[in-house]
Amino acid sequence: MSIGTSHSAIALNAISKGFPGVQALENVSFAVEPGQVRALLGENGAGKSTLLKILSGIYRADAGEILINGKAVDLRNPKSAQLAGIALIHQELQQVPELDVAQNMFLGHAVTKFGVITNRKAMQKKARELLSQLDHTIDVQAKIKTLRVAQRQIVEIAKALLGQARIIAMDEPTSSLTPIEFEKLVSVIDRLKADGVAVIYVSHKLDEVFRVASHATVLRDGKLVANVDLSEVTEDTIVNMMVGRSLDIPPHQSHVQDEIVLSVDGLCRELQVRDVSLQLRKGEVLGIAGLVGSGRTELVKLLAGVDRPTAGNITLHGKAVHFSNPREAIAAGIALLPEDRKKEGIIPLRPVAINAALPSYRKFIRLGFIRSAQLSRQVNELAQSVNLRPHDIDRAIRLFSGGNQQKAILCRWLMAGSDILVFDEPTRGIDVGAKGEIYKLIDSLAAAGRSIIVVSSELPEILRLADTVIVMRSGAMAGKLKRSELTEEAVMSLAITGKSAADTTMEGRT
Amino acid sequence: MNTSLFEKPGGWKISWRDMGTVAGLIIMVVVFSSMSDVFLTQRNIINILQQSSINACIAVGMTLVIISGGIDLSVGPVAALAAVISASLLMAGLPVPLVLLSALAVGLACGFVNGALIAYGGLQPFIVTLGTLSLFRALALIYTGGNPVLGLPNEFRRLFASEILGLPVPVIVAGVLAIIATIVLKKTPLGEYILAVGGNEEAARVSGVPIALTKVATYMISGGLASLAAIILMARLGAAEPILGNLWELEAIAAAAIGGASLMGGKGSIFGTILGAIVLGAMRNGLTLLNVQAFYQLLATGIIIILAMLVDRLARGKG
Repeated sequence: MSIGTSHSAIALNAISKGFPGVQALENVSFAVEPGQVRALLGENGAGKSTLLKILSGIYRADAGEILINGKAVDLRNPKSAQLAGIALIHQELQQVPELDVAQNMFLGHAVTKFGVITNRKAMQKKARELLSQLDHTIDVQAKIKTLRVAQRQIVEIAKALLGQARIIAMDEPTSSLTPIEFEKLVSVIDRLKADGVAVIYVSHKLDEVFRVASHATVLRDGKLVANVDLSEVTEDTIVNMMVGRSLDIPPHQSHVQDEIVLSVDGLCRELQVRDVSLQLRKGEVLGIAGLVGSGRTELVKLLAGVDRPTAGNITLHGKAVHFSNPREAIAAGIALLPEDRKKEGIIPLRPVAINAALPSYRKFIRLGFIRSAQLSRQVNELAQSVNLRPHDIDRAIRLFSGGNQQKAILCRWLMAGSDILVFDEPTRGIDVGAKGEIYKLIDSLAAAGRSIIVVSSELPEILRLADTVIVMRSGAMAGKLKRSELTEEAVMSLAITGKSAADTTMEGRT
Repeated sequence: MNTSLFEKPGGWKISWRDMGTVAGLIIMVVVFSSMSDVFLTQRNIINILQQSSINACIAVGMTLVIISGGIDLSVGPVAALAAVISASLLMAGLPVPLVLLSALAVGLACGFVNGALIAYGGLQPFIVTLGTLSLFRALALIYTGGNPVLGLPNEFRRLFASEILGLPVPVIVAGVLAIIATIVLKKTPLGEYILAVGGNEEAARVSGVPIALTKVATYMISGGLASLAAIILMARLGAAEPILGNLWELEAIAAAAIGGASLMGGKGSIFGTILGAIVLGAMRNGLTLLNVQAFYQLLATGIIIILAMLVDRLARGKG
């Protein structure tokens, strides 16, 4: 079967790629027409990243051919991919924070006078022209580090257009965008479509995929499951294709007890967190919703002792506490499972056992030495209880998938005996299959009498998990919603306007 | 893939990387022994070990510092300061055990200064120890007025001149040190904290690792070992010069790097470092036996370091 036509912007024909011990891609074919958006879907490890790396010339396919406008091309390195008109917008943007927008767009291709002196004026003019079509609020002279992620993404897209890209692949472009920024991105993608650019869109968020893309390629274990027209399928069909089975995510169950374990009064930190008060009960799952930048992460970092509050009180089991570092919070039983696991969660080269035991060594010391047998045994039991896969606690944690890294970090805090667990974006970068598992774990922790705080940008996640939700808006609490009042609309209304639809739920403010 | 690079918690398995260093050493030994009859004699092997022992002491401390994500450029001047102070106390008639303790105290104090500036002052290790490199050297020169302390008593020198089981004391000292450091790294919380801080400082902090204490302890160990190396050299020379230990930091970093320590932190092996020190020592010894000029020895050192790094890179692939 031959894929695509001579009009296809890009066609992949029976692409295969193997690594020692793994067949990362096997016989994958699809085509993208000019002006079409094709989503690339699959769980982590399905082969999406490998495919993107082949398209951007980082890897070379072992077999199969890639056609651009009907002509076979050899993408032997990133430069040849660029010349073929393919650009990849990485999930973690590859920009130089200290340089300005124009400099970043022209990085490696600076316009010069007399061949040596950089012509900043000309570069800025060109950059301004391109950006004005996409987002006119971006100043070409602003340093990249002063821009929000959404703006940086648009700069990256403009850079691709500058390089005459006709095929743009976006890897998880919305992982840190707010709903409003997402709308902006949609309009940028519409613009690309109108210009006849072919877009390959990788995302875990299926609702977005249905908004943005018209077609999808679903991969599982490196194999092509199907090329589908998204107008002919439902989200459930796609999920089934991705995981190869239907998912059962059990409905919410409440385990809230009466005892108040944590109460926070008037907590402040500069302008990021302003006068927040809340209470957390035993067995409760407290959701913290709000837009990115609304102070959610900053708030939980105060609770976990990572940052220090400038005002306000934290009372734990009836006693006032002041944490000056995470150690003190951990000793008091509060643990943070950070949003950015790579940066704040894991020690990448060390085994799971060590990563899990880090805060708890004191329990395993005899005469100054670590009792590694006991330690291994306990980590093994915990790994079993959270269903760590592969079940090998001596394997370096960086070799595990995002979901299993999260489970390993959960083991860390179960071992430390923490009774308040703060999950910041518990399923960020985790695939659909593992998501359900993390939800079940959070439920079972609550059932066992631990108290949970969940910060999340994904409303379905908050709705699924939380007994109570507080909504943050520009550093302050916009409102609090009980389970019975919880709807996506109620949360969004508070997050965006600061007003609840019915205006009756403004408790918790002082 | 390379799972044995990531040993079990507390495991003693020798990693692939260490085997690579062993292989490099074996190749070197084969080459030199084919060119010189003397090279592989018992006398000469002991010579090599003895010549490597000072660098080994320094490099063990350096390895811990490098694993923690830092660097200690001040080891040479720390050794010099410890040497001149303890030597002058020795000349003033202080008993030998107290002299040894005083040298150690100087080393630990210098390490504490480094560690405190880095951990509590939040300064970069390279800059801090570059500063104290000058500072400690200056103190040693000011303390002695630039003159060496000569004529150290034989009672003191004999301490390190004797042999145990046919091995010179400095070799024994370096060997014992290496064993202790390996145990610290693999079997104690401090070791795991050092690996964690170097592997990902922010994650270590959020996990409740005492970052500041770990760093201070690491630089104190490095300072303490520098003073021990100073003692060994003083005993050998019978004198303490304020300019001793020049470029020791580079030798030690080279040994650690050859042995597989990553200057990015989070990774390294004491066993590898010891092998690295022996590789450097054996090469110098072999080239001297072959009557190769000192200039070319320097050239060879440079080539060895770069070669080791290239092999490292190739072995790990593009990763």
